[in-house]
Amino acid sequence: MKVIIDGKTIEAEENKTILELARENGIYIPSLCDHPGLAPFSGCRLCLVQIKGKKGYSPSCSIYIEDGMEVKTSTQQLRKLRKNILELILTEHPNACLMCAEKKECDEYKATIRKVGEVTGCVLCPNNGDCELQEIVEEIGVDIVDFPSYYRDLEVKRDDPFFDRNYNLCILCGRCVRICHEVRGCSTLSFVKRGPETVVSTSMDQRLIDSNCQFCGACMDVCPTGALIEKGRKYESLADDKTEMLCPLCSVGCRLEVNLGEGRLLNTRPAADGPANHGQACVKGRFLIKDLVYIEKRIEKPLIRREKKLEEVGWDEALDWVAGKLKKYKGKETAVIRSAQVSCEDGYVLRKFADEVLKTGNISSEPAFSSYRELAQKLGFMPALNYKIEEISSAETIFLLSSNISVSHPIVWLEIVKAVKNGARLIAAGPMELQFDRFVSLQLRIEPGTENILLGSLQKILTGGESFKAAKESKVAENALREAAEILKSSKSPAFIFGSESIQGPVGMEVLTALWNIALLSKGRLYHLGLESNSRGIFELDRSFNKKSRQTGLIIQDIIDNKVKALYLAGSRIELPKKARPEFLIIQDSYVSKNTEIADAVLPAAVSAEAEGVFVNMEGRVQKSGKVLEPPGKTKPDWWITSQAAKRMGAEAFDYKKPSSIIKEIRNKLPGFANVTYPALEKSKEIFIKEETPQKGKLFTQKIISLPEGNNKRYPFRLVLFYNLDFYRNLSLSEAVRGFRIFRNSQWIHICLEDADKLKLKNGDSIEVLSPHGKTKVIVRITKTVSPGIVAASPEYPIFNNTASSNVLKVMIKRGK
Amino acid sequence: MQKILAEFENSQKELIHVLHCVQAKFGYIPPEAISEISRHLKITESEIYGILTFYAAFSLEPRGKHRVTVCMGTACHVRGGPKVLEEFERRLGIEAGHTTRDKQFTLETVACLGCCAIGPVVVVDDDYHAEATIRKVEPILEKYKKEKKNDQD
Repeated sequence: MKVIIDGKTIEAEENKTILELARENGIYIPSLCDHPGLAPFSGCRLCLVQIKGKKGYSPSCSIYIEDGMEVKTSTQQLRKLRKNILELILTEHPNACLMCAEKKECDEYKATIRKVGEVTGCVLCPNNGDCELQEIVEEIGVDIVDFPSYYRDLEVKRDDPFFDRNYNLCILCGRCVRICHEVRGCSTLSFVKRGPETVVSTSMDQRLIDSNCQFCGACMDVCPTGALIEKGRKYESLADDKTEMLCPLCSVGCRLEVNLGEGRLLNTRPAADGPANHGQACVKGRFLIKDLVYIEKRIEKPLIRREKKLEEVGWDEALDWVAGKLKKYKGKETAVIRSAQVSCEDGYVLRKFADEVLKTGNISSEPAFSSYRELAQKLGFMPALNYKIEEISSAETIFLLSSNISVSHPIVWLEIVKAVKNGARLIAAGPMELQFDRFVSLQLRIEPGTENILLGSLQKILTGGESFKAAKESKVAENALREAAEILKSSKSPAFIFGSESIQGPVGMEVLTALWNIALLSKGRLYHLGLESNSRGIFELDRSFNKKSRQTGLIIQDIIDNKVKALYLAGSRIELPKKARPEFLIIQDSYVSKNTEIADAVLPAAVSAEAEGVFVNMEGRVQKSGKVLEPPGKTKPDWWITSQAAKRMGAEAFDYKKPSSIIKEIRNKLPGFANVTYPALEKSKEIFIKEETPQKGKLFTQKIISLPEGNNKRYPFRLVLFYNLDFYRNLSLSEAVRGFRIFRNSQWIHICLEDADKLKLKNGDSIEVLSPHGKTKVIVRITKTVSPGIVAASPEYPIFNNTASSNVLKVMIKRGK
Repeated sequence: MQKILAEFENSQKELIHVLHCVQAKFGYIPPEAISEISRHLKITESEIYGILTFYAAFSLEPRGKHRVTVCMGTACHVRGGPKVLEEFERRLGIEAGHTTRDKQFTLETVACLGCCAIGPVVVVDDDYHAEATIRKVEPILEKYKKEKKNDQD
């Protein structure tokens, strides 16, 4: 269709607003409330235009284009009108600095004073120079406000983590309220009161930390003023450079925009064109990346243990010493445990080091995919693992087997919210309720550890069989199961989304088999949520090696049995049990931890913002994370450290100059990485792991396993484990960052109000949890998501591989001292 | 509370009805009711809070026995309405929109009652008091305070 804007004929596609079309064609229309990704609002009235044949003025942000439409965007009348409207907006926003004749000189001679209680002008505002309102005033050119100004004199809200809220600067554009409701599905913020008293607030004006706020920071990213102020960059300079990196904190692989000022990382924001995250992030990517880089726990120099003390040494000395010591051990006596938060390059070199230099089979496997490996053996081919997160939003039915998804994979949760808003039905199965249970159409609440029984029964119904003995055990009502089956039968290609925790442990394989069967029966698709940022990458790399990797738990058991004497621990969060003390312990990591205290050598590694690397996210999408900062002190990238150690042990094939040469080697060895080159990754965001052509699936008999009943009297509670993935390498995020600890603590144990009352516990109490396998100290957190008799906790490291554990433990709770 | 909610569907369309019923039952919306309504109607607490602070019909504080409404419409305003209100506030020791501690009086303002000719107008419960002045405030209040005493006798 053709649209004429300001005399210019533009060929346009349907379903666009006038404002969108104008922006695409470089025609400027001011606007303060419109934002890409949000529904039209027409609140600020700055985008008024004149349309031929229409009376008066129309807001261009909410009028869709029509064929032959003639639009004028900048007549004298419109300019006058906009100026007037902007003046009215400015009566409620401190405006002296905006009008000041000496504005330019001020910027030059006076640095922004940001440590003030009240912001009464731009020079006192932390967002000075990074403000949409300033830009628009500049563009429209207001030099005097003819109306009396009105300062709301509201108290600045400073008692939440991560950001402050100063609603004296708010212009009520509603972007924050709308993004919280429309995109994040959280609806924490809303307009409160009416008329001139309207403010943005939470329910009962409580603090965000007491509300259901997820601290994703989306409100802050869309705010056109300085009303929402990030604490972490309040006193920083303005950004002088922008670049991009990949968030290393979960398997979604969000692209983040990094603001740099004088070579310092100021903050990170979700990149609008991130292929997985589409301009959204979560609390971790938005607020914690800076802490990962600048925390004082960073190790900056190599350390070796001499006469019982760790001593700072140079790289040459440290590596020679490590190489000399490692040579003394036989292959079987050595082991490598590596994290899946390192890049493909790092992971590959570590694996090659274990295989070719140490000559050991003791290398940790990637736990997230262990059941998939078994399934592939049964099937004779690897089932398709690639998908796109955005597909989920168009699903008709979603079967969710991960009640923690809004915390562990918030970006995937957003797609589910979108789907539900489009009319999809969400079936949520699991021992816990979802935090946002209002999106659920059918809740199948089951007994902990009976996922495989539930799915087995569901499969029987789908195949027309009758057996509800199994259903009874998982305590799901028969009619609920039948309803679920009906929904699955009646919908086209349902999406089965499940977390790694449900396909691990003793019944994990049966759960995966059942999911596979049900997906096959209902012509659905499996969506496996990975664990760490490079779980999938490490899994793919490992498939190319002949020797099998081993479960971390088994390696640790070997250390306890003194079969493994030298351990190379690279970037892993795992905490070695007291009994498992290897003779020689090398740690290649970034932060001081309990393990580094007992290490014989500590090799400081760069964090992901400081090294180039390729990561594969849960979709199978291959992305490159750029080097944003120089590594501090003597820290080096993992691949460099490992390959140097290998070289010093006499290995030849470790002569890598840069990470791209490692990728080249991987590419030649592994068909899955055939398309992966650095230049290709920089050009395209759509490079995926190449999968084998899928073959026709077949059904499997699934064994229904009931977990053995333990001693219920001694251990009256059942502890459900789920993952929040709140760690980076060997750093616990909640231990490291105070604001994050208040919001979400890995030491929390979730308990329902009834049980807490019975045990006389309140939020924040320190208690002891005892199981047959040991005891730990935890902190009480009362929630509505668990039922009586069940408690839930999120360990920081995937621990299912430890010899005697499943995702359900029988425990006893004792009051701490 | 559960009884009230049981009569309504789990749909956010019902919110205003539910709030009216709760207000009628308790005389105000108890803050604890918000979370129960939120769970039943599948809306978040802040959305409910936004709506109930928007409408003057809903109150988050318990209402007093007598409801004193002072007109702030244009005609009453120019004839001294604000001064009358000020006097009520002073005598009752509360600001407009609140309730006295003994739960006897709730003071409110209204934009116009449509009887501008007899302004400034004060309405207590269902009684209209015409052409109010500062001096008339005390006798008006006394009248309702007395009623209370008579009731007790």
